[in-house]
Amino acid sequence: MPGLLTESGNSSSVVSYSPAAETPAVYTLHHCLKPPITPRLSISWSRGNTLRVTILRSPETANSVEEEPGGKVVDLKLSGEDVDSEINDAVRWRRIAYGSLSPFAHLQNKKNAMAALSELRHSTPYDGDWSKYILEYSKEINSLLGSNKSSPASLIEDPKTVLKNVEEPSSLKAAWELLEIFYADKQSHSWILERLVDWLSDYNTLFSGQVPSVHLRLVEFQAELINTQVVENEIKYWQAISSALAVGWLDIAVKLLRLHGSYQLNQLGTRETENGLVEAVAVLVSKMPRMRADLPSGKLGECYFNKSDFVRAWEKWRAQITKLDCSAFWLQCSHHETKENLKNLLQILLGNTSALSSATCHWVELYIAHFLYIRPLTSGLESMYVLAQKCIQLKPTSSPHKLMRLILGILEENTEVVLAECSRSFGPWMIAHATELLTAGSIEAEILLKEERDKLGGISIEESHRLVYAQVLSSHALTWQIAPIYLISCMKHGLGLLEILLYKQPAYHSQVLLKNIEICRMYDLDSVSSNAMKIAGVHHWKHGRKGAGVFWLQQARDEVRLNRIAQKLFDFVGKSISDESFEQWEGLIELLGSESKTAGGLEFLHKYRDFKKSLQQVQDGIFNDAARKAGEALILLMKNPSTPQRFWLPLLYDSLKLLNWQERPLLNVSQTNLLLNKLQELSVARLRPDFVEVGLPPQALSSVRVALATNLGRAILEE
Amino acid sequence: MATETLKQFTRLPQSTYIDALRFLPPLSALDRYVVVASFNSDSDETSIGIHALTSTDTPTLTLQSSFTPSSRTSSLKVAQKSLNPIIAASTVAGFLHILFPNPIDASFESKVPVPEKRLYLGSITGLDLQENGSACVSVGEDGRVNLISVGDSGLDYRQIFDSKGLVSYTAAQWASPFEFATGGLGNLLQWWDQRRPGGPVTQFKGNWANVASSGIVHSIDIHPSRKHTCVAGGSYGSVFAWDVRRPHQSIVLSGIDNSETTTCLSESDVWEVQYDTFMSASDHAKLSTTGVLPVMICSEDGILAVLKQGEEPTELLAENCAINCFDIDQQNPSFRMGVYCFIDEGVAYNDRYGVIGLFSMANGS
Repeated sequence: MPGLLTESGNSSSVVSYSPAAETPAVYTLHHCLKPPITPRLSISWSRGNTLRVTILRSPETANSVEEEPGGKVVDLKLSGEDVDSEINDAVRWRRIAYGSLSPFAHLQNKKNAMAALSELRHSTPYDGDWSKYILEYSKEINSLLGSNKSSPASLIEDPKTVLKNVEEPSSLKAAWELLEIFYADKQSHSWILERLVDWLSDYNTLFSGQVPSVHLRLVEFQAELINTQVVENEIKYWQAISSALAVGWLDIAVKLLRLHGSYQLNQLGTRETENGLVEAVAVLVSKMPRMRADLPSGKLGECYFNKSDFVRAWEKWRAQITKLDCSAFWLQCSHHETKENLKNLLQILLGNTSALSSATCHWVELYIAHFLYIRPLTSGLESMYVLAQKCIQLKPTSSPHKLMRLILGILEENTEVVLAECSRSFGPWMIAHATELLTAGSIEAEILLKEERDKLGGISIEESHRLVYAQVLSSHALTWQIAPIYLISCMKHGLGLLEILLYKQPAYHSQVLLKNIEICRMYDLDSVSSNAMKIAGVHHWKHGRKGAGVFWLQQARDEVRLNRIAQKLFDFVGKSISDESFEQWEGLIELLGSESKTAGGLEFLHKYRDFKKSLQQVQDGIFNDAARKAGEALILLMKNPSTPQRFWLPLLYDSLKLLNWQERPLLNVSQTNLLLNKLQELSVARLRPDFVEVGLPPQALSSVRVALATNLGRAILEE
Repeated sequence: MATETLKQFTRLPQSTYIDALRFLPPLSALDRYVVVASFNSDSDETSIGIHALTSTDTPTLTLQSSFTPSSRTSSLKVAQKSLNPIIAASTVAGFLHILFPNPIDASFESKVPVPEKRLYLGSITGLDLQENGSACVSVGEDGRVNLISVGDSGLDYRQIFDSKGLVSYTAAQWASPFEFATGGLGNLLQWWDQRRPGGPVTQFKGNWANVASSGIVHSIDIHPSRKHTCVAGGSYGSVFAWDVRRPHQSIVLSGIDNSETTTCLSESDVWEVQYDTFMSASDHAKLSTTGVLPVMICSEDGILAVLKQGEEPTELLAENCAINCFDIDQQNPSFRMGVYCFIDEGVAYNDRYGVIGLFSMANGS
């Protein structure tokens, strides 16, 4: 990828290369180039991600007996790591590349169709339908990046399993989903906060690697849970509950609460009040009002679609919490830890800032907690951004996670930051596909992305990212075939690069050639495919497959080369009729057909073949009819401008028998005159220095002249 | 009227390219085996493997044994010789392999390329085995036509013709114990008879001046009951039948044609043609009449279809990637299973880049 620096390892390398893997083999190259040769370095792509470096220099033969090789070749296998190490796995990456192809192509088609329609109607191209298409596109891509399906739950639920076993999600999917939430899914904007809550619960595990997180805290707690006898005495138990509650994982919080010792049957009698308080908190947690359309099964809370309904329920719910907080039952609760920590949970529910802050680990979690318990009605990116800044101040991180940087970029409404973050952290695939989401509905973003820039050589940012992605695809033997879809969507340089890509494919490999032609057919690149066919034609010709050579050159309608080939063929066939070698050419000549306009000078060969055949019959003793036919063929050949001059005399010399036909003259006056004129032309041409003498007996010309003169005389008499 | 419909269709993703595949004649009454020639483009490894096909509700392929040919497989055919299966495979490097799978455990007994030296300069582009496995004809892009006879004592080969590169061949198919047909560039079909050596007996050629009617023949098939008729498929979606007794004309079943009656199913390369052995009652009635029998084809633009003369084609599959090869299980004509593969890698089906599709047909009405 030109010009894109990755962050992995040392920031100066464009593509990560790990020399540790194995020492690459160095091949020596012997050449016979004559010195002086200036040392030459050539770098090219070999198979897959292998870079081939060739060094050529003059062999040092001066004094040493052993000849030093004049060049060295080394294949360096680049580690194939994409910018994001998660799509390191080449197979997984290919699946994404191929899978995203059809949604992308589909969207481009729709876009083109809509643009054409809006031109007709003189209206803006983006209306309601468009956001629907964008969402469809986004969802299709999203589903490609992996599913959040948990492993099938066992029939008997283990009460001590707090966290479900979920397949490790990819940060690529997390990033895509963020973009979808903010840019593509316009319909659910009114409950965007709840979507972020869901997002964090799906992807919080991704943060665990870099910063402490609630997820990590729960994982650790679960590991200890099996060996814990009295959970309510453990500080970690209460920490786990408050953390889960703070980030809105209500189901986990309630489940943990019900592990409380007071629920055990043998203790119920003595700890009745305590148990009542625990259960009251659990019920309050599970009744939390949430402003969203629905909840997935297993999740807790009560949904309110309407804002005023929600506010009413929210006030009522908080009143209940306050009431419980001030209840007299707390005095009767003898278990100190339970009392204090339940009170703390109530503070979280009431939105106590310090309680929330101590329950959460990093700023995104705190941010989500703010949405849940303090400002559930926050709306607009600006106020969301202000809140995010506040949370960062409360919980600063030294090196923010890439997803955190992306969230901030989005909230800041800074498209450039979002773009930079996408390309820096998630690679060319992400940015090539995400630009569609960024531009959806945002005029500023669209101007930014689609404006043509002199700095980028006159192309837009969008196009440059697509070109980079197409370049990545082109560099691998298994993905080059899908690069055309992306290239064709680039207005300025796409077509040019597509042509270069197609030219780079080995046209002499017949499968590749046919694929090439097919791609050209799809994109109306006739000139490219005919050039590929020409290359293939010349290749076959050079390798002795003359038929295949002529075939491809004819398919390419390459008159110039066909004529050159015809000249070469004449060398083979320009012998006397008795020559046996002519027979083997018959198959090819037969194939060329008689009316082949595209066959160039080869058209002559077909007529020549017909002439030779009838002449052969004459010599074999089949008379009159064959002789007449041969005569006609001779005239046709001599009349035809494609008959090469050097064949004139051999043709006439071969036909001496026809000219001296005993029974009657076979050629009439005008025909004989034509032949005499040709003969005259030939005599003049002989004076030119570039004339090539044919290998005929020296008296050939005079004997033909005599024969023609005799024939003319007899023809005149007959007429 | 009865039409064919796809009853069951399963995709089996593979981790390699699939160059060719064939159903193996049954080793026993219960087993089904499939021969798959594959190529791993990352490691450059080639392989011809025998897979056991278990077709319960979800069919699976289990590799039984494999053989490493000299290079990528260009053509693959199977036959049955005195109740034992025999496999012939040709490679792009010009080698020919005749393989004898063990009838008991499907392992390979003979692994020697025959003959041990190269028969061709360049790729062998087509081959065919006699129905009884006694002989194999092969053709190459260098214009050579060779015959290998598979006897009890061993293998023997001889060259039938060498065009010295003036004509390149792309396909071969037996018609009878003595006659076979070859296909080549320029929609060329040639008819050969071993009893009349020296060259083709008769031929049909496309019009080279008209590019669209002079593509490459990729595949030929000849029906045992109509030994004088070849059906061929090739470039520009052309599928046509050629009757040796009327050598100068052809019946176009699909393709770009001047007449308006012919349907054009596809404009890309037709990779394989085979007579459709799955026939309805009305098709059987046609056997006695003169028409061309139903033909199944697959194409570069992902179409698998059945063509019948004078009828609209029946499209069985329309995939968004090339279908490069298919085969019909000759042992199971009423409830048929076919195998097809995409050589086009990736294609969104799981994480692999070659896909074998298995389907069975039902006679809907």
